[in-house]
Amino acid sequence: MLVRFWGTRGSLPVAPQALPVQAKIARALVAAGGRTFADEAEAAAFAEANLDFATYGSYGGATSCVEIEGGDDVFMVCDLGSGAREFGVNSLRRCAKGHARTWHIFLSHMHWDHIMGFPFFGPAFDPAATLIIHAGHPDAEAALRRQQEEISFPVPFDWLKAKISFVTHGRNEPFEVAGVTVTLIRQHHSHESYGFQFQRDGRSVIYSTDSEHKLDNMEAEAAFEAFFAGADLVICDTMYSLGDSVSLKQDWGHSSNIVAVDLCHAAEAKRLALFHHEPSYTDEDIQRMHAETVRYEELVRGDRPALEVLCAYDGLEVTV
Amino acid sequence: MDWELERSAGRLVARPRGRVDETTWEAFSQALTSAVRDAADAGGLPLVVDLSGLDYMSSRGLRALTMAKREAGEVVKITLAGPNAPMREILAISRYDKLFEVTDSLGSVA
Ligand SMILES: [Zn+2]
Ligand SMILES: [Zn+2]
Repeated sequence: MLVRFWGTRGSLPVAPQALPVQAKIARALVAAGGRTFADEAEAAAFAEANLDFATYGSYGGATSCVEIEGGDDVFMVCDLGSGAREFGVNSLRRCAKGHARTWHIFLSHMHWDHIMGFPFFGPAFDPAATLIIHAGHPDAEAALRRQQEEISFPVPFDWLKAKISFVTHGRNEPFEVAGVTVTLIRQHHSHESYGFQFQRDGRSVIYSTDSEHKLDNMEAEAAFEAFFAGADLVICDTMYSLGDSVSLKQDWGHSSNIVAVDLCHAAEAKRLALFHHEPSYTDEDIQRMHAETVRYEELVRGDRPALEVLCAYDGLEVTV
Repeated sequence: MDWELERSAGRLVARPRGRVDETTWEAFSQALTSAVRDAADAGGLPLVVDLSGLDYMSSRGLRALTMAKREAGEVVKITLAGPNAPMREILAISRYDKLFEVTDSLGSVA
């Protein structure tokens, strides 16, 4: 399987602004230290080799949308946050080259940051497209219809040209989608959310966002350890620090980087992708959080094999 | 993990030793919560957790600290003393150094 991140930000899309871009340029010039470059390509090669991620790159600002490539000639995608606009355009381009026009969409929950891309999702306007929307929530259809009511959006749901159907799944009842086995787990979040496990050929990917792990609910903790067990990649909500998630931001429905590491350690997962980044964080803030998480993993690893800690960004691809 | 509790100079001092991780956190949590109750029963003595004998603590231990703090309420003041370098890093990464007073050593607890 291949996991492609189209949107990694939590709660609200973030657009780049001039000040942070100017700071990146200034840092790049300082790093260049008076060198001269023959052309832009040579300067770009220097920048790529010498600048840190937060200076040369960006984590991006689109909200949750993660493609899981690996179903037989179908598209599979978790959540339709604002990253779904670009995913829609890109997948239609692949259809023009012969890919079948079937999209399986897995919705973790109906909060706005996870469905706001749907009114801009190109395939929904394609009469040859089939969209199958999977959710643990029976009110998924109501949520998507509601955001296209006239008061919110000019194009009503019923004008969409694609063939759209909704499937509600019970938790812990695995089902097959184009050769991939999918299982849901219920998560602690306002109006509930669901995590998904995708399995194929002995490999597994977990998508677990908008999930709060309560301090004192160790039964739930054990259920997540079992759900994550042996996973090749765990995509985890790591929006807050543990300190914030047990104090000021308690009951806001999100988790921390260090609880994610501990769950993955206990589950003997192989890779963790930090996800659902706090919208007020700059690229430097997210880069620092990533470095701290890598360090924490080292400090508490004990005798276990190392857990690789990735930090998701818009555009990241991970082969599983 | 080993655990000792000692009453001295108008305070309770708890001394966990070893690691607090998924195999030992329950014992740590129970001992800590009962130390908070002892401190409250003794009229609200401050409780100092001497971290100098701890190798490290994972999130399970940190969560136990939060539960102890909730139990302590306004009655018992909990201070963390003498963390080693890794433990100090863990407190910073988790931002627990913003939730608890952390001092360099037992002697420097106010
Ligand atoms: Zn969200
Ligand atoms: Zn949410």
